[in-house]
Amino acid sequence: MRRNQDCNGIDHLIARRDFLWGSAAGAIGLGALSSPLNAAALQRQQKRVLQIYLQGGVSQLESWDPKPGTQYGGPFQAIPTSVPGIHISELLPHTASRMHMLSLVRGINSKIGDHRQGMLFMEKGRRAGDYPYLGSVVSKYLAPADAELPGYIHISKRGIVDSTAAFLGARHAELKLLGDQAPANLASPNTIDETADEARQRLRVQFDRRFSQQRSRALTDVYNSSFEQAEKLMKRKAMFEGAVGEQDLDRYGRHDFGRHCILARDLLENGATCVKVTHHGYDTHAENFNFHLEQLGEFDKTFSMLLDDLHDRGMLDSTLVIVYSEMGRTPKINTKYGRDHWGTAWSVAMGGCGIQPAAVIGKTNDEGTEVVEREVDGGHLFHTYLSALGLDSTTDHDVAGKSIPIGDPAAAPIEELLA
Amino acid sequence: MTRSRVIVIFAIVIGSMAVHSQTLQAGDSLHVQVDALVSTHSDFQKPSAITDDASFLRRVSLDLAGTIPTAKEVREFLADSAPDKRTRLVDRLLGSPQYARRMQYVFDTMLMERRPNKHVTAEQWHAYLKDSFLQNKSWRQLSQELLSADGADEQSRAAARFLLDRELNVDQVTRDIGRIFLGRDLECAQCHDHPALDDYLQRHYYGLAAFIKRSYLVQDPKTKKSSIGEKAEGDVEFTSVFTSETDQTAPRMLDAPPIIDPPPGEQLYTVKPEKNVRAIPVYSRRLQLAKSITDDANRAFRENIANRMWALMMGRGLVDPVDMWHAQNPPTHPKLLNLLADSLLEHDYDLRYLLRELALTDTYQRSSRHDTPDHDLSSNRATTFSVALLKPLSPEQLAFSMMHATGVAEQQLAVAIAKQEKTNDPQLALDPIWQEEALNKALANDTKVFVNLFGFEGVQNTAFDASADQALFLRNGALVQRWVTQKNGLADRLNALDDNAVAEELYVSVFSRLPDADETMFIDEMLDATTDRKTDLQQLVWAALVSTEFRFNH
Repeated sequence: MRRNQDCNGIDHLIARRDFLWGSAAGAIGLGALSSPLNAAALQRQQKRVLQIYLQGGVSQLESWDPKPGTQYGGPFQAIPTSVPGIHISELLPHTASRMHMLSLVRGINSKIGDHRQGMLFMEKGRRAGDYPYLGSVVSKYLAPADAELPGYIHISKRGIVDSTAAFLGARHAELKLLGDQAPANLASPNTIDETADEARQRLRVQFDRRFSQQRSRALTDVYNSSFEQAEKLMKRKAMFEGAVGEQDLDRYGRHDFGRHCILARDLLENGATCVKVTHHGYDTHAENFNFHLEQLGEFDKTFSMLLDDLHDRGMLDSTLVIVYSEMGRTPKINTKYGRDHWGTAWSVAMGGCGIQPAAVIGKTNDEGTEVVEREVDGGHLFHTYLSALGLDSTTDHDVAGKSIPIGDPAAAPIEELLA
Repeated sequence: MTRSRVIVIFAIVIGSMAVHSQTLQAGDSLHVQVDALVSTHSDFQKPSAITDDASFLRRVSLDLAGTIPTAKEVREFLADSAPDKRTRLVDRLLGSPQYARRMQYVFDTMLMERRPNKHVTAEQWHAYLKDSFLQNKSWRQLSQELLSADGADEQSRAAARFLLDRELNVDQVTRDIGRIFLGRDLECAQCHDHPALDDYLQRHYYGLAAFIKRSYLVQDPKTKKSSIGEKAEGDVEFTSVFTSETDQTAPRMLDAPPIIDPPPGEQLYTVKPEKNVRAIPVYSRRLQLAKSITDDANRAFRENIANRMWALMMGRGLVDPVDMWHAQNPPTHPKLLNLLADSLLEHDYDLRYLLRELALTDTYQRSSRHDTPDHDLSSNRATTFSVALLKPLSPEQLAFSMMHATGVAEQQLAVAIAKQEKTNDPQLALDPIWQEEALNKALANDTKVFVNLFGFEGVQNTAFDASADQALFLRNGALVQRWVTQKNGLADRLNALDDNAVAEELYVSVFSRLPDADETMFIDEMLDATTDRKTDLQQLVWAALVSTEFRFNH
């Protein structure tokens, strides 16, 4: 029997302690939303996600799990961090001094050495199948109905749009921004001034009012809400197109990644629920060390500034920060001084909302060739992210015709990493 | 549903049967039988009225010809007083080249789910589908061609796209055959018997996989074209990730008995497998697939297509989503689905016949308006078909309809015809099939823009959705703006009319109906107040094009 789609089974989806903001994140038209009391509570408890995706597969040995002086360790040293006992690569000095805001998972064995399949596993927490990405899940369950920006925004230099929402629907699909370029069609046509634009919007609404009389609103509401979302983006045109402050550029860096992270911060501050920034260029089959020196040099300072800003603005407690790749890189150094694809033993970093800070979970052996303690994969990480946000990842998506477990039932959250 | 509720409803049905006292006659047309089964369903409530002529014309034109009717067609249909005009309209549409085009789009989306073209060009594939529907090829024959073509020669190349463009990946093909041809998504049964659904078993999945497991893609070193070869040996073994039990299966169609290979003769191969050589076995399991899946004994095959055609016309499957048939998601109207499936079999899988009968039902012809203003939106009328459901226009329907409404399509066709008339075959320009082809070609690039933005790649069973970038495109994009301001297009045509004629022309052209008194008054008042008539008329056309009334088939 068909289930009521408007309900989304939200009550059993959301962990009990966070019921309030969870229920407000449900579909349009839940009566509770109109109460200002709830709206205020919602605002206070709004949770967000920042994903920094190091595309190509960052080397764990040059970042979170260095093995200096060993067979495969490479030329770089490990440096102490702000957390006694945790050492990371010397390529990340700024991040090292902010280690107390982050935690590391060093025991990932995803068993996938392929860019696309690895990325899909990390995003969906499933090895195969039509499942939504983390950002779409977060948009679906955490974005307030009256959010002023789309729930899932991805800033990347490359144009391929992935189908991220699966059965959750286009409203929760990623809105892809090409770099810090504004979304397409953000400005009204030249020939139409503001007054005329308002007039034609009123006409559109007028036509709808006639049509919707005595008709089911289930589909027309969805269509109309896309115009409302478009309107929101147009109102934020200045944010997308505005000049970036000199001071911000000085701090974040005058490069694409710096600009993208400034935009990410602004989006999160302005009501976006999940923002993903892709930093390209980690597929280092040749010259692994030079490339990591360059790429991580760009990443380290910029990411640290972003972390500082989230912290200083009081957003870190409510923002889950994830730094990840689709895989790691081989310990074995090839003849071109490169490292190849590797899913067997690698790391991610995370922090903020719901994450126990300054923890290291899992361990690789001395040469970094296998996981020797607390082995996990993309399935565990997916559960962990959602749990950190207060969502019960062991419950089901409730879509027409079937119930679909949110996280892979074969995996579970990394409990010891949760605050 | 609880048992006690079933009993209560059962009692109501018995009561209401007396009211709907029509008894079914074996000789009744299918559409009469369909309406009887819909209206005697236990949940059936007072139906909405039969929809008016104008909305019927728009609805059936979109469903069977892929676009809204022209203003001329609307006026002619409204003026026609013949009692059988709806039936004649349905027959005219089903016989038109626009019907074949519409079915080309419907089946392309259903079969390929908007995958990019890899081994077969879009032109080849579209032409193949369109020709199949022009000839009214039976679904049985089309399915057999799709599943047995090896792509080795140009003739079978297009039909092989279903397998070729899935790279003949066994898991992908198995899952998609289950979903698209049988209405069953066996994905979970790949790794273990489905934990929640008792009727999807691992052997179902691997039984299907065994038909194609021996087939593989071979690339011709010279032409670089891939085609399908097949080995004569190899079995499918599977292990449950839960129980670690291992089993083996020969090819089998769901619960039908396994199809055991014939005892091997002296020769296993007609063409032996070698590097770069397409092996051809004496006994082909893949050719068995085309035969078994379309066998009369396989009810799932005809139930699936009957359900999909119902969903196409009525806006919702009797099993919904259409690829989610299992014991926990049974048909809402099992008898009706049986009837449709068996009628299809009797008529040799003639889809044109089935669509015609569906279009003639009262169920299809009901209004999408609820009769009472205080209708209960939470009621389950969607599943009882007592009121017509809104159907979002496909990207192709939306683009074509906008281009027809704004007069762009008409202009493009005139250009193509003028060009053809200057060639040494001017007569061709009069041929409706040529005209349809020429128009489709002229509108192809702009249609593609809509497909890229409003279509999506992957499983096509999700409910209607609309995203911000789509709305931004409609609102601010250059393409729609170009159509709205098209020279000699609709806005210009309206501008040339007296105030009192504008409302009717606008409504007939865009909404395919006459305006009512309020609507006419609204437009009149607007025109009275205007300071820039031309621009305001363009705004009006734009607002109508992006309105909910236009976005849906209703």
